[in-house]
Amino acid sequence: MGLKKKNSELFVNTIGLLITLGIAFFLVIILIFILSDEPGKTIYYFLIGPFINKYYFGNMLNSAIPLIFTGLGIAVAFRASMFNLGGEGQVYAGGLAATVICLALPSAGALVGIFLAVLSAILVGGVIGGLSGFFKMKWDTDELISSFLFSAALILIINYFITGILNDPNSNLLTTPLISDKYFFLYIFPPSRLDISIIFALLTAILVFFFMFYSKWGYEMRMCGLNREFSRYGGINTAKYIVIPMFLSGGLHGLAGSISILGTYHMCLKGFSGGMGWNGIAVALIARNNPLAVIPAAIFFAYLEAGAKAAMLHSDITFEIAAVVQSTIFYLITAQALYNFVRYRKRVEV
Amino acid sequence: MNTFESSIPLIHNSVNIMTPFLLAAMGGLFTELSGMLNIALEGLMLFGAFFSVVFAYYTGSLFFGVLLGITVTMALSLVFGSITLYLKANVFITGLATNLFASGFTVVLAFHLFGNKGVILFQDLPELPKLTIPLLQKLPFIGDLFINHNIFVYLSWLVVIAAYLVIYKTPFGMHVRGTGLNARAIKSLGLNPRKYQLSAILISGFTCGLAGAVLTLNLGAFIPNMTSGRGWIALVVIYLGNRTPLGVLIASFIFGFAESFSNYAQGSINIPADFILAFPYLITVAALILHSMWKHYRVEAR
Amino acid sequence: MSYLEMRGIIRLYKESGVLANDKVDLSVEKNEIHAIVGENGAGKSTLMKILHGLERPDQGTITFRGREVSIANPLDADRLGIGMVHQHFQLIPQFTICENIVLGIEPKKYSIFFDREKARGRVMGIIKEYGFKIEPGLTVSQLTFGQMQLVEILKMLYRQADLLILDEPTSVLTEQEIKKLFTTLRNLKKIGKTVIIITHKLNEVKEISDRVTVMRKGKVAAVKKTAEVDRKELSRLMVGKSVLYDIERAELTRGLPVLELKEVTLRQKNQDMPLLDKLNLTVHASEIVGVAGVGGNGLAELEDVVTGLRRISSGEIYYNNNRITNSTIHELREQGLCYVPADRLYRGSSLRSSVKENMIITNSRNFQKAGIMSQKRVQDFADTLTAKYSIDGDTALPIGYLSGGNIQKVILARELEAKADFIVFSEPAWGLDIASSEFVYKKILQLREQGSAILLISSDLQEILTLADRVVVMYKGRIAADLANREITKEIIGEYMHGIRGDFEVK
Repeated sequence: MGLKKKNSELFVNTIGLLITLGIAFFLVIILIFILSDEPGKTIYYFLIGPFINKYYFGNMLNSAIPLIFTGLGIAVAFRASMFNLGGEGQVYAGGLAATVICLALPSAGALVGIFLAVLSAILVGGVIGGLSGFFKMKWDTDELISSFLFSAALILIINYFITGILNDPNSNLLTTPLISDKYFFLYIFPPSRLDISIIFALLTAILVFFFMFYSKWGYEMRMCGLNREFSRYGGINTAKYIVIPMFLSGGLHGLAGSISILGTYHMCLKGFSGGMGWNGIAVALIARNNPLAVIPAAIFFAYLEAGAKAAMLHSDITFEIAAVVQSTIFYLITAQALYNFVRYRKRVEV
Repeated sequence: MNTFESSIPLIHNSVNIMTPFLLAAMGGLFTELSGMLNIALEGLMLFGAFFSVVFAYYTGSLFFGVLLGITVTMALSLVFGSITLYLKANVFITGLATNLFASGFTVVLAFHLFGNKGVILFQDLPELPKLTIPLLQKLPFIGDLFINHNIFVYLSWLVVIAAYLVIYKTPFGMHVRGTGLNARAIKSLGLNPRKYQLSAILISGFTCGLAGAVLTLNLGAFIPNMTSGRGWIALVVIYLGNRTPLGVLIASFIFGFAESFSNYAQGSINIPADFILAFPYLITVAALILHSMWKHYRVEAR
Repeated sequence: MSYLEMRGIIRLYKESGVLANDKVDLSVEKNEIHAIVGENGAGKSTLMKILHGLERPDQGTITFRGREVSIANPLDADRLGIGMVHQHFQLIPQFTICENIVLGIEPKKYSIFFDREKARGRVMGIIKEYGFKIEPGLTVSQLTFGQMQLVEILKMLYRQADLLILDEPTSVLTEQEIKKLFTTLRNLKKIGKTVIIITHKLNEVKEISDRVTVMRKGKVAAVKKTAEVDRKELSRLMVGKSVLYDIERAELTRGLPVLELKEVTLRQKNQDMPLLDKLNLTVHASEIVGVAGVGGNGLAELEDVVTGLRRISSGEIYYNNNRITNSTIHELREQGLCYVPADRLYRGSSLRSSVKENMIITNSRNFQKAGIMSQKRVQDFADTLTAKYSIDGDTALPIGYLSGGNIQKVILARELEAKADFIVFSEPAWGLDIASSEFVYKKILQLREQGSAILLISSDLQEILTLADRVVVMYKGRIAADLANREITKEIIGEYMHGIRGDFEVK
């Protein structure tokens, strides 16, 4: 009897997700029929495009990498019932921190440089996120709004650095100078830009999963997230688990930024992180905050964008069609009524 | 001498720049009072911006452009509101969805209609009517503040007055505020809180549609994501304005002035524009933290 | 046919499995003040919510003024002339009195604007008509609880209610405010209104009501004319008959003091009466101190204070002679506190966490090495507890899927197994059947024999008499009696609980 209940919850979630995805794809296909002169071809490239050659496929996986990190970052916070809305700024700050370290250490050993760059990105992101947690712990300041505001201000300030004192005068892009090529991550799937950090991303997901479900701190953090009063009653230091998840969340976002710089951009381009924070929220929601499920969810999001890119290159639709699918998913992914409907139907059948 | 002369366009520009903030914030004020954090203002405004200029272009009429632009924006707000309230989705996530949808969908449509996803210029749009009273215009300050603006500026003031009247002087406004303050009490009276929340969202659709129209019809062009954070700033304006129409009006003017000043200062004073733009966010977060500190110690001190 | 007849009302809360109303009959005559009394959880509020359309009964009929009626929501009730004041006020604090009263049926000007003058006029009219003194322009947040109560009553009168329901109207009021309220109710009766008042304070029943319905465990225990019944009788009816447990309490000599409360006082903002008033209480090793009292007299606050969940306003608390006055529960747990809370669904357990996870919340450190949890040891522990306490349910599933009784067993298992030297039990046998209760009682007595100091807070007098060495009765935040558990009876405790005995004002 117990097992049946557990399975039925999984069933409800799966069916709910499938309905959500079904509606999203249905809408986008209708949209393509309306907008495209050659809808068959557009739909083909939209759905199959990312798989037709190594280049597209590798690039798709590459763009999933930062989403895995940001998705994990959001999931960690969510599990503790905290909401980190500053992802965009934290990714950007992490990217800038890594770039600055690399630029400041032109003659360090490759591994040392990479290590320091990544570490500084994690710390910078972590401190920014942790700050919102700290204010929440201390004075119950809403972390959702404070993290967003910190991030919004930060993005503008970082823009200033990138276009100002850190700007590369020799480039016609708004960017910092290129970092030394010894810090570049290894490409593992040429001709695509997929680099070795995908392995790092997968390991991080496993590590976060392990932390969350097999460590004492993960246990205490989840208990705080599920019922803070109960956790306090049980003798857990609940104040600690307001700051820590926000720090970890910010740290993972910072990490996402540094990995993007070292693996993909090799310089801190103005606005390179745009969307990575927001999409991380959707990825975590689709994955129901399970760190391992974040991996397919991130790849799925990257797939939507890769498909849209392929459709743009080979047909007459523009890349932004991906946002229409993504937003439909966003709309329905938290719709309780949808899941209750599935639940109800199931009960009627049985 | 020099500063005095340049102060005249400074105030005049502030009034122009504040209009979209003011309109979006006035609608957002309704959702805020009804107890919902409406982060969809950004997306709704973008929708209004795109559709009003497109309809104005096709109909050749400003009036129909604005009217149809607002209608489409309200339709989007209806989708946003129904999913949030009736499918019981998280208002925050659906707000994000609205922003994402608007930014994607407008570009998709722009590309389809005009084959271009950069700046789309609309030639031959009818000129925006302006109020010119040559005599009063010459008055220092008053003239800058009140005269020689386009019609939207005056419309936005009407919206402020209407919002004030609706919020404080009608039963509807009382119910909206009551919903935000104590939805259970509203329910215990047999009233339906969701009805008031949906109405508030539709009102925000209306004002954001208008706010968007201001952006594009002023410029005669559409640029992808041209709202660039104005919806978020509108949200900040609501908080800084202490959630009252008059407060929102003043806060909007301060923001308008700040932006106008930064445009002006870029030439003469050496403060980077990005810093000035970051300022409102920093002030708001400081205000937020101070507010929670105050609340915290007041509870503690009993 | 009476003015109001509720017949065979059944209401089952499916989520918790609690049968709140079990074939309840209620009849109220026109123009009477009818009291409904009963312990917490007796089903009084549920019955009244059904009458006001906030809940639907699973079965049963309501007849009002001779006609069978269906009340689907509060608007239906309003239309019939049935008004209700909830235990928690349904007011909008930022609005004025006048606005709160007319909300939902406002007079209009030019058919869209709120006509403030007309509203004020009408409200003033009502206020004058019934002889109240209050300025309708005041904001509700500035009012005392007594004035808020009056606003709620005015709300009903403005809606022309003839049958007024008041759910525990006196619980937040001062003595003077209660006197005023009762005068008001008597006046309303004089002009032909009918009043139903829910309470568990027996002196109030005697003072205000014409008839009284006593409820116990979802059923009607008795209906009496107030004049023909005394408080002792009512108290007996509310408490019910004894269940006999097959339990022997060994004679033990108590040990050293473990927990000491000295002049402990807890105050709340905006309230004159302290929630706890200079409590002095000592619990020794090998001793069970039972604390009895009616809800609202400081039991819940005592529970929070001795477990470090709430800071006291003044006084001192000692634990094994160490001062712990402002220690947090986190620190107390480290020193060996165990605690079974009355609120088992939100404090005692985390409904969305698995049974296993619920079992190790207090001692997760015992299952880890270098921060890594041993799943096997957790599982073994869970299996042991499940077998020992005969818990029915899969330990990997959320505890919320279990029945209330099984959830309570998980909480008890967790706290009893720690074998602490100081344990607080609040309502340990709630939701358990007799056999399980007996098992738990034996466990508690075993802990006593092993030398634990035990504080037992309970509204079940039988439980207290079965287990406790000493019985402490709380009344109005003070200790009304501290008695050795020899030759005392439920009736005696009941009289202290209701303020009939003791050095308190008795009428």
